Amino acid sequence: MKQQKQQEKLKSIGISMLALGFFPLIWFLFQAILFRELTEIISRNLLVVFALIIGSTFVFLLFLGMDKIIKLSPKENRESLEARMFAGPSLFMIALFLFYPAIRTFYISFKDRYSNDFVGFENYRWAFSDPEMLVTIRNQIIWLVFVVFFVLLIGLVVGWLSDRLNKGEAFFKSIVFMPMAISAVGASAIFKFIYEYRPPPLTQIGIINGIRVSVDRLGTQCMNNRIIDGVFNGFDNPNCLKPIGWLQQRDMTNLPFAQNLNPDGFMSSILVNLPINTMLLMVIMIWMFTGFAAVVFSAGIKAIPAEIMEAGQIDGASELRVFMSIVIPYIKSTIIVVGTYMVVTVLKAFDIIYVSTRGDLETNLLAVKMLDEFSKYRNFGRSATVAVLIFVCVLPIIVGTAIRERENTQS
Amino acid sequence: MNRNTQKWYDKPVTKIILITIAFTWIFPVFGFVLSSFRPGEAIKRESWWDAIYTGKLWTELTLANYSEIFFADNLDRSFYNSFAVTIPSTIIPITIAAFAAYAFAFMEFRGKEPLFLLVVASMIIPLQMSLIPLVQLFKSGVEVFGLPIIPALDINGTFVATWFAHSGFGLPLATFLLRDFMMSLPRSVIESAKIDGASNMTTFFKLVLPLSVAGIAAFATFQFLWVYNDFLVANVFLGVYKPENLVVTSHVSQLAVGAYGEAWHLRTSGAIISMIVPLTVFFSLQRFFIRGLIGGAVKG
Repeated sequence: MKQQKQQEKLKSIGISMLALGFFPLIWFLFQAILFRELTEIISRNLLVVFALIIGSTFVFLLFLGMDKIIKLSPKENRESLEARMFAGPSLFMIALFLFYPAIRTFYISFKDRYSNDFVGFENYRWAFSDPEMLVTIRNQIIWLVFVVFFVLLIGLVVGWLSDRLNKGEAFFKSIVFMPMAISAVGASAIFKFIYEYRPPPLTQIGIINGIRVSVDRLGTQCMNNRIIDGVFNGFDNPNCLKPIGWLQQRDMTNLPFAQNLNPDGFMSSILVNLPINTMLLMVIMIWMFTGFAAVVFSAGIKAIPAEIMEAGQIDGASELRVFMSIVIPYIKSTIIVVGTYMVVTVLKAFDIIYVSTRGDLETNLLAVKMLDEFSKYRNFGRSATVAVLIFVCVLPIIVGTAIRERENTQS
Repeated sequence: MNRNTQKWYDKPVTKIILITIAFTWIFPVFGFVLSSFRPGEAIKRESWWDAIYTGKLWTELTLANYSEIFFADNLDRSFYNSFAVTIPSTIIPITIAAFAAYAFAFMEFRGKEPLFLLVVASMIIPLQMSLIPLVQLFKSGVEVFGLPIIPALDINGTFVATWFAHSGFGLPLATFLLRDFMMSLPRSVIESAKIDGASNMTTFFKLVLPLSVAGIAAFATFQFLWVYNDFLVANVFLGVYKPENLVVTSHVSQLAVGAYGEAWHLRTSGAIISMIVPLTVFFSLQRFFIRGLIGGAVKG
């Protein structure tokens, strides 16, 4: 009797190991190796077809296979085995692809560039002393302040004003929201076209430089290389304004209107050192994410009870007053959520910088720096350190939100 | 309250502000779209607003850029690659997460609460924290105390690497959202199915999955657009140096960083082709997308 029980137990342990350990591993390895080999041998078009078929069906095979194996086990164990089979793959993948790498990144950040020897806090010392890193951190702070501020501000304005329209609300919101659907790479390409700079004799095709060089000055008619009645009208006259390489301007010193400023004055020194290219790159992100804020705020504003708004009006409060004293406090938690989302998104901003300037000309951000150290300079220790910095910045923000959320649900 | 009767709504000022903002938002796209229909030489010779002004624009319009970028420059290949990355990267995490969400919502097992907390906690890990070890894992496997758990696979540069990377990054959010959604389903229905002797598999496929379509669609739309628009993961796991490995975003980035000189006719048309798919998905599934987006506000 006892022996039989032991046998049963052994059998169920064996089955659970087979179902939850061995089979998923085989499944993963089979898929990976099969695909690696296919990549080598078959044509590209066929590979895409295989990718679609294998990628979309194999995950079901995993669960069906585990289910079949579990069916072999004695009935009383099945319930707990099934629970582990349902939750297991998700937990395993989160552990393998998120927790293990995160811990390892911490570990690598204390090692040298090839992850051979421990170097203590050397990489962190580098992160806060290297001039390039300091510029990167400065940019990250500028981005955090301005992008989050403007996204929230314009988002609130659009969300609130569009709510007051009788018709066309969806139209306006869709227009502002549309950039959210396209890739940051595409958005950067669009704005690169606007900031485009070409050396002077050439036609300016970016609209900002185009308008700049077409301004008539000192009685001279300046034109952006337009041919009128067979006569060429350029802007090569010395009186005309010269185009500016906007994304190459790391400060204002080369710009005409900043040249006469006294660099010793407090305000004017801030103005002279304004990183104009960083500012212009931030516009791309603001353009992309304002719509998201607007849509979320608009939903929040719609949830404000009409009586409260009406009471404000009857008391004769001005619209600004209604906005500041009723709308803002009412959707405060929504503003915080969107703000948190934006902070996290800005900390991980990568595509815009990578595509626009490649992080050169003092426009770098942490996420780009991290990848540069990894794939360009091959310094894993430093790369991991930058990643840890991003994580450390993200951590308190999200933990804070989670705690606040918890308090809200409890009270 | 009937807002139509209110006087202080619909003021002209409101409209002016909104139209200004909408104009500012649409304006960058306008010249870009226009330029995609102009020949490469014309774009460089005359700015697009001058072309409108002089009226030359209407004689120049052509679709040649699109056929050039799509066929001669192999954007079609990148396009198919994008689908080969995106569709499995959407299906795999959703399936795995749906099973896990079912377990967390309707099943009892040891350590359920702490394990779910673990899932929620993993949402705070930024993608950047996992990149380096994940590249190493896909290349040379994992060893724990000298015991190989995963052997050296060397799968960087294949689609599988991106599927698993995206699945890993998408799973916490998917599990969390779907569990939330399933918790809101009527519990009595699921319990009565169990009493009738339906197995967990049957309940899951026949009952819970059909009822959760809205939640699944929300996450699917979000994940699809996220993966399709992603550049970082494609850059790291597929690379940008092998032309046959390019996806749409990395292809457009190659165009935009200047590898093609001043090829604005290809940059514009390429970028616009890359935007067609997300914009279609976005406008047809806007409701789901916004829902997934709000839920995904803390995605790692």
